[in-house]
Amino acid sequence: MPEKLDDDMQKLMSDITEMASLSKGMLIDSVRALKDLDGDLANDIISRKDRLYEYDDRIEERALKMLTLYSPMASDLRRIATVFKMITYLTRIGRYGYDISKITLHLVGKPHVKKLIDIPRMAEIVAGMIDDVIGAFHTGDLDRIADLAERDNIVDETRYSIFRECLTYMMEDPSTITRCTDYIMIARYLERCGDHACKIGEKVHYMITGERVEIS
Amino acid sequence: MFAFLNKKKKEECVCPIPGKEAKEAYIDMKGVNIFYGSNRAVKDVSMRIKHRKVTAFIGPSGCGKSTLLRALNRMNDEIDGCKMTGSIFMNGVDILGKKVDPVSLRTNVGMVFQKPNPFPKSIFDNVAYGPRIHGIRKKSTLDCIVEKSLRDAALWEEVGDRLAESAIGLSGGQQQRLCIARALAVNPEMILMDEPCSALDPIATSKIEDLIFELKKSYTVVIVTHNMQQAARVSDDTGFMYLGELIEFGPTKQIFQRPKQKLTENYITGRFG
Repeated sequence: MPEKLDDDMQKLMSDITEMASLSKGMLIDSVRALKDLDGDLANDIISRKDRLYEYDDRIEERALKMLTLYSPMASDLRRIATVFKMITYLTRIGRYGYDISKITLHLVGKPHVKKLIDIPRMAEIVAGMIDDVIGAFHTGDLDRIADLAERDNIVDETRYSIFRECLTYMMEDPSTITRCTDYIMIARYLERCGDHACKIGEKVHYMITGERVEIS
Repeated sequence: MFAFLNKKKKEECVCPIPGKEAKEAYIDMKGVNIFYGSNRAVKDVSMRIKHRKVTAFIGPSGCGKSTLLRALNRMNDEIDGCKMTGSIFMNGVDILGKKVDPVSLRTNVGMVFQKPNPFPKSIFDNVAYGPRIHGIRKKSTLDCIVEKSLRDAALWEEVGDRLAESAIGLSGGQQQRLCIARALAVNPEMILMDEPCSALDPIATSKIEDLIFELKKSYTVVIVTHNMQQAARVSDDTGFMYLGELIEFGPTKQIFQRPKQKLTENYITGRFG
């Protein structure tokens, strides 16, 4: 039975890789669509939502089936328990990509208040965090998630920086209020995605070591 | 109620009757070795079994867990060529000592086996057997003991109105609970269970597990099981044995969620054994 369990575990992990790629892709592409005010790309991201939810359901189904069939213990149990939590966080990250794309559709045709620098930078850091927690999930390499909290701090600080900058623009020119409010909202979404990456990091740490840590 | 059962012993015999105050470590094993001839089946095992908790022994077949369990009521004495060294302190008395009377010890430490083994007698007589051996003859007293034991074994509701019927006619699960009631009838302090559910269906197994949960309020329970989910469900502490050695012993939650030893991890995740 362990061989069968191992086979199914490989499939489960492969599904997680695909889901993480889809989820992160939705987030990164949504920021690219925002930056370029690309409505076609935004619509494409919106259309990926169903696939994201299909992964969520399919992986949950597979994990439940494995619990039923194999009654896993110790590291196997921790890995499956981690998967249950990961799919929720990954769905939320992808969902934020969907929300950013929806906002982008409203912004298409209106020029940006200024060239977007901090929002793409936040997205890049968050994408790196997602890559590393997924990498640690697969390899068990704790070094990859050792500095998650520091990176999350940078994301948080950037969000506040965007907030203050937008306040200045809005006070100077009320016509920017709608766009700036959208930027503030998007910065908030990206900050939450960083938090989700940290939560995944906590779960992956527990999966690898059996010890609970708080990454914040 | 069972005060009259407090065993009358020969003067030279010592029996570890529990004190009034519960002790943290009810059983304290120190360097226990058990030999079958020249074969050392249990190797230098030391552990502390807590009072009124359920302790499970797990491990692959032949690892020595049943042998260790049987050491707790000196059942190994009945096996030719079996020799034990080390100490097993029960409430401060070394039960491997020469002064301990194994028969008195077994009254205090009941045992339930893999296959239910009721006597070919009535349900009542099965439970009343032990008390009668101890000299209790009064019908009303025996009635009282039988009812309490059957209630404690969660069997009274099912058989209370047919105590005169043969125990052989009961289902496997009922027979096993009858055997538990029979053990309880002599007012033991500890119950040993050697794979008590391996011959039972899932429903009967569930009833026994519920019963174990109730029993630990009044008794110290030690269980050997091959079913790791069962060990995880019913026990407070778990010991993993392999090739006669106690590889890891600790809180059940720790053993099944994050074992410290790689060997334990490999066994409970089904990588061997």
